[in-house]
Parts: sequence; structure tokens; C-alpha cells
Amino acid sequence: MAEHVGRTDARRRAALPSASRTSSSGSSPSSARRSAPLERLNPLTKAAGPLPATVMLVLVRDLATPAAFIALALLLLLLGARLDRRNLLFLALVPAIVLTTGTSLSLWADPARFEETAALLRIGGWTLHAGALETGFATGLRLGAITALALLSGLTTSGPDVARSMVQQLRLPYRIGYTALAAFRFLPRFGHELEVIRQAHRVRGAHAGRGPFAAIARWLGTIVPLLAGAIRHGERVAMAMDARAFGAHPTRTERHVLRWRAVDTAAVLGFWAVSAALFLTVPALAG
Amino acid sequence: MTAPAPLLRVRDVAIVHDEATRATPSSVSFAVRPGEAVLLLGPSGCGKSTLALALNGLVPRSVPAEVRGSIEVDGLRAGIDSVARLSTRVAMVQQDPDAQIVTGSVLDEVAFGPENLLLPVEEVLRRSEDALRRVGLWARRDDDPAVLSGGGRQRLAIAAALAMGSPLLVLDEPTANLDPQGAEQVYAALAEVVATGDRAIVLVEHDLDAAIGLAGRAVVLDRLGAVVAEGPVDLLRDRAEELLALGIWLPTATLAALRLRGAGVGFERLPLTAAELREALAAHPEPIAVALPDARSFPPAGGSASPDARSSPPRAVVPRADPGRNDSAGEAGGGTASAPPLVVARDLRISRRRAPVLHGVDLSIAAGSFTAIVGANGAGKTTLLQALCGVLRPPKGSVSIDGVDVGRADARLLGRRVGFVFQNPEHQFVTSTVLDEVAHELRRQGLEPDEVERRARATLRRFGLEHRAEAHPFLLSGGQKRRLSVAAALVAGAELLALDEPTFGQDRERAEELLALLSDLNAAGTTVLVVTHDLQLVAEHASDVIVLGEGRLLAHGPVGAVLADDALLERSGLRPPPLHAALRDVPGHPELATVTRFAELPSSGGRAD
Repeated sequence: MAEHVGRTDARRRAALPSASRTSSSGSSPSSARRSAPLERLNPLTKAAGPLPATVMLVLVRDLATPAAFIALALLLLLLGARLDRRNLLFLALVPAIVLTTGTSLSLWADPARFEETAALLRIGGWTLHAGALETGFATGLRLGAITALALLSGLTTSGPDVARSMVQQLRLPYRIGYTALAAFRFLPRFGHELEVIRQAHRVRGAHAGRGPFAAIARWLGTIVPLLAGAIRHGERVAMAMDARAFGAHPTRTERHVLRWRAVDTAAVLGFWAVSAALFLTVPALAG
Repeated sequence: MTAPAPLLRVRDVAIVHDEATRATPSSVSFAVRPGEAVLLLGPSGCGKSTLALALNGLVPRSVPAEVRGSIEVDGLRAGIDSVARLSTRVAMVQQDPDAQIVTGSVLDEVAFGPENLLLPVEEVLRRSEDALRRVGLWARRDDDPAVLSGGGRQRLAIAAALAMGSPLLVLDEPTANLDPQGAEQVYAALAEVVATGDRAIVLVEHDLDAAIGLAGRAVVLDRLGAVVAEGPVDLLRDRAEELLALGIWLPTATLAALRLRGAGVGFERLPLTAAELREALAAHPEPIAVALPDARSFPPAGGSASPDARSSPPRAVVPRADPGRNDSAGEAGGGTASAPPLVVARDLRISRRRAPVLHGVDLSIAAGSFTAIVGANGAGKTTLLQALCGVLRPPKGSVSIDGVDVGRADARLLGRRVGFVFQNPEHQFVTSTVLDEVAHELRRQGLEPDEVERRARATLRRFGLEHRAEAHPFLLSGGQKRRLSVAAALVAGAELLALDEPTFGQDRERAEELLALLSDLNAAGTTVLVVTHDLQLVAEHASDVIVLGEGRLLAHGPVGAVLADDALLERSGLRPPPLHAALRDVPGHPELATVTRFAELPSSGGRAD
């Protein structure tokens, strides 16, 4: 780590009300707003903690285990994340995924496979078996649980902080980390540019027509001008970064220091322990 | 007083880009001393920008090229020492503010350079604060750069360059992508930097009216990229005619004085600024015989805003059908009185994302007119243009083109009557050859293949593109791309040509070339509708002006009357065209108060351009 790391603790300063911040404050808006408990954890913690559970969830087949993880993740988010409108909308995504996936898979499942299970519903010649419902909702719950675990990090971490923690804790070369960050900032620009290109192509009646082939042709047609613009823009940004000494030294000064603290270790170990406990006990309890 | 040792010394520099056959620039030597502000001038394509990029070694270290000669800055050699090392001596500001911003907050952006230099955090913050205060952005340090205006983002780029602490600042067309307000902000910030005197500046700029007040010296390149003049900015007046002949743009005041001198108005020294022009004219006793504001007895200003001496760029290729075009532009709201209206809007209301953008616009645009839509940022100019042409569907019954309801018309019908040209020509290319690009609309109209081929080739000839018929549209030069986009818009016989900010980000010469093409098309009968914020171009080329403010029509009338209405422009957040600004209150010459176009000034023997 660079020798200057650790001279400022942006987070501590950010805890002060903004009016009392000194004029030399180095806090950025992302750190100034950081207040909810999950937001104070290192970004890597929130990735490493849920990782084993995420992998294991792909393998389980019961209903109770994924349901328990959904409950855990939602509880942590309700207690530990900022509950603004955007975040609440994302939380609502979890039950939505469970219901839509569960219902549709139950209905699509081949009834013949579940003939031995109890029939719950008969409509004409079609029967909904308990087995189909169970399998469908097991899948729905698994998807919901994986989404909920991803939201633990996704709703409480900013893109720049992920890059910073990769550079600071994982020793990712900063040239890669910060170039990725700069590239990340292209996205809104490209979104806007794509909109304009689509509009221009529509006006000119390019690949008009219905159906998937016309749609693919339309999409391909917008890619060339978008890429041409993107490459040119990327080259200019790269030059602007070079002109400001990017890559001059093996390290660079970090004003936003992300620490790996005892609480991060505790959080990761704690999450792993809880995960293991859930995997071991829940199926038995529910069974 | 002995001059200090040069900070920058450029010796016999010639640069050949990979894939290029000749060197641009071809032969450049000059020196810049600490604290000096030097203007780097030259016609389009002479290699100014390449030279600017060579000053910190980006050419050849990031852009492949062969650089001959030597560039020394404060003991370092550009092109040999690394760009990163050079960055402590030379800081850069480029044309496009968006291509220079790499972080998510104003403060992070300015700190980015000093952080790369591995300065201690305290020093990073001290430099960042100092730089942001100098450009007036310190209060916005926590904002996302994306929420700043264009002028704000470019000032941020200047602050980021200042924070590098380098003694030389190189700026390449820093206001080309900005509206007049943004350009004003940037020049105010630069004036501060020059006034402090701690940085030398090399400035590539086409807007000499703004730059002339800052610069002490000028280096002038010719079309081949060789230095033809170097010295104090006075050389712009002393050698004005020679430079004009080389295709160099001069300040508005100098151009106006050159024209007036041809008509017998004596100037002891040619003026460079509006103030100097006013002073010289005030000393001239007789009234000046200005042409009537709207009498267009001459052909549309031919390819340039400048007097006779200029060598024109390759001229537009459109044959001029009838030079005696509609003479009188009509009264407010009515368009050209003698011609029937082509486009009519009645109570046109448009909302975007549920926010109203246009609040009931009524207007009619005369057939054969050349109408410019102007207004401050966010006034709804682009929305109006798009709604009038059906790019954005207007409500049924609110817009008609030659009696056809745009809200109901199908796309093919609109394609035959209206040609729409987007700001970036590349965005609208939909095929892989120049010929197909032009043929596209004809095929869409369902014409026979023979007919398509014949008309497409004829159109290419008309626009001077027949030798590139098989090329990929993306491989054309910038000017050719623009001509192709106009050709493709007009090939099916559209009588209305609409263009959205066609001169944005282009240098003066390209902008003039395009406007001259539009004037020729207009003279040949096409109705032209254009959104722009360059009011001098509007003054020179348009017949009518629509002024929008906050989604409402503030004025619609003949160009001379609208652009000379200072109160109206003020109210609309616009700046008067530079010529009018220079001439409107010359003591003893009330006859100059309404002049907006160069063509209104008398020239030698009353001859038109």
C-alpha cells in the first residue's frame, strides 16, 4: 500500500455533520452518505460473506433452506441498509421472483412426472400435483435467495468502492481498477448515444419490419456507429488520463481509504457460521 | 529587461501520422516563455491539434506518428521522456469535456492527477482546493461532474489541469463544444489564470474574439503546417490581408474593418477588438453607407463571413438554380410574406417524461425560407425541430407540412417530404457503402432498381461524392460524412431539410463550408430549418429566425430585425452576434446600430462578396 494510506480517514470525517467539515475535508458524497451499518462494511466483506451460501444454494432442493436464506438476507437489509424508495423496490423484487418463477414452473411442469403425488387442483383434464408445486417453488425460492444475497452487497456498495477495495485489499493493479472505473462512467453516455442512434435509424427506416430477424438486423445496425463512437471516446479518455500522469508510479495516493477491520473479519466468519448452521439444521427441522 | 529563458522550445518540428503521406504540421519552430499566452492559429487540417498533442508527448507515444525535430519543455524532451513525466511540465485541456472526466465527483476529478503523482494527501487536497477556487467550482466539489453544465465541465477540466502544477497549460479548442454562455465562463476562468501570470498558455482556438483579449503572442501556420508568422498578436492586424488569404480566421473587428477599408473608411491601424473598432469608427466623420438589413441584392454570403481576400475552402458543389430568391422575409409569425407556408404548427404541445417541453407553439414557416431556431439551453429547440419534422410524433392536427398532418402521416411519406440530419452524421448511416446510403431512401420509396441507381449516382455527383461511391460511409472525411448525410436526406426530393446543431464541435471553416452548402441548397429551392447557437452564422445565412425561451415562441421574424433586437436577445438568454455587438453603439454612427451581417457593410466599389 502507498505510504500515504491511512493519513485521512474519510469515514470518520464523514460522520461529522457536513457544516462542521473543514474546508480541506476530503470526503466524497459517497462516503458522506455512508451511514447504514451494512454500508460501513468493506465491499469485499459483503461479497465474501454470502459467497459460500450462494454456491451451496444452487445444489439444495428443498423449500425451507432457500426460504431461510431469504429471511436472513431481508432481515439484514431491513436492519442494515438505507430504506429509500429505490432499495425497497429492489427488496420487493425478491418475493416477485419467487412467486413468478414458482408459479410458472409449477404450471409448466409435466404432470406425468408427479402423478404419484397428491392432486391439488383439477381443471378439465389437467391436474396440478403437489410435487409440481413443490419443485416449482423450490426453484423459485432458490433464485429468490441468490438474488437476496446479491442485494446485500448490491444495495449497500458503490461501484467506485468495489474498485477501491479490489485495489487496496486484493492488490489488484490500480491501472486496471481505475481504468475499469473510468470505463464504468461511459455507460450513461453510451446509453444516451444508443438512444440517439436508434432514433436516427428509425427516422431513416432502417431494417423496418416486424419479427425477430428485423429486430436482430436493427440491433446489429446500431452496433457499428455505437462502437465507432465508443472506441474514439475511449481513446480520448485514455489520452486524458495519460496526460494527468496516470500510471506514473507503481502506486497512487489514496484519499478514500477502505480498511479491512476486525468487524469485517467478524462479519465474514459470522455469516459463514450462520450459513453452515442453516444448511445443517433447517432441512432437518423442516423435515 | 532581459527575457527569461524559454519554458517551451519547439524546433523544426514535422509530424507524419501513420497512414498519412505528408507531414502536418510540416515545419514549426517557436518558443514560449514563462507566463506568456500564445495563440496557435492555422486553417483546418494544418496540424494544430497534432502539434498541441505533441507538446506533452501524447503524439507519438499514444498516437502513432513520426515526429521530427525537437520539443523541449523545462529540461524534458517531449516524445522521449514519458508522458507521465511531461505531465508535471505540460497540462492539457481538450475539446470534449466529457472525454476528460474519469471520476464521480468534482473533487475526485481534480485530485486525480495529483494522486497519480503520489503527492501526500494534504498536498492533493491543497492543490485541488486552490484549482477549484480559481475556476469557481469549489462550492460544487461534492457534485457529480455529470450535473455540471458544459461550461462547468470544461472549467473542471481546466482546474484538473491546473492541479497538475505544471508551468505550461495547453488548450485545444476548449470552447468548440460549448454554447456561448459556456464559452464565456471558460474564458472568464482562463482570464483569471492569465492574470495571475503563473502559467504559460498555448491556446488553439477558432473564436478569436474571445481569445484575442488573453493572448500576447501568436504563431500562425499555413495550410501545409509551416509557420508563416510568429510574434506579438499585433501581427494579426499588421499582416491581416496576408493571413486572410491563407485561410486564417481573424477577429470580427478586424474583418469588419478590412471590409470598410475597401469602401474608403480609413484605419490608421486595423482594430483587433470591438473596442478598438468602435474607437476608430467614432473618429470617422461621414456616415457609413450600410445596406438595408434585409435587402439581399447579392447572392447569399458565399462560403465565408469574411471579405474578398479570403481563399475559399473547396466550395459547395450544388448548382445554384436561381440567385434571385425570395427577397423579403416576412413579418413576425408569418414567415416570408410572398411564399405560401410549408410548415404550420398550431398550439403545438410536447411533453417528455411527463414534463412539458413546448407550451403551445404557433408558427408557420414559409416555403423557400432558411429558418434558424435559436434559444438558450433547455429552451426546447431540438424538441421543436423534431416535432415539426415528425421525428418526434406531434399530437394529431398540431403540425402540418404542405397540408399533410405530421401526426398521422406514415414514415415513408414523411421521408419523401422531409430530410432530417442528425448532429453526428455517423449516427444515421445505415448501410455499408456511400452509394447504398443514398439509395436507401429511394428503395424505401419502392422505386425501380434502374431508377434508384440513376438518381443515387446523380445525387452523389451533385454533392461531390461520386469518387467515393463504393467506400464505407465511416471511412469518409468529416466534411464528406456531413455532405453524405445531407445528400441522403435530400435524395428522394424532400422539400424541407432539417438539421440539429450541425456545426457543434466543428471548427469555423467546416461550419462555414456546411452553411455555404445549405445556402446553395436553399437558393435552389429547398426550405432549410436549422437549430444552432452560432448567431453570426445565423446572421450570415438565414432569412428568418425563431427564438424560443422555456418552451414558448418569443419571436419569429426576418433575421435582421430579430438579431438586432438587443432586448429580445437579452431576455432569451442569447448573446448578440459578434458583428452586431461590435457595431451597435458606435458614437456618431447610429446607422450601424442595426447591422448584423458582414454583407450589410459596404465593401470596395459596393461590390458584393
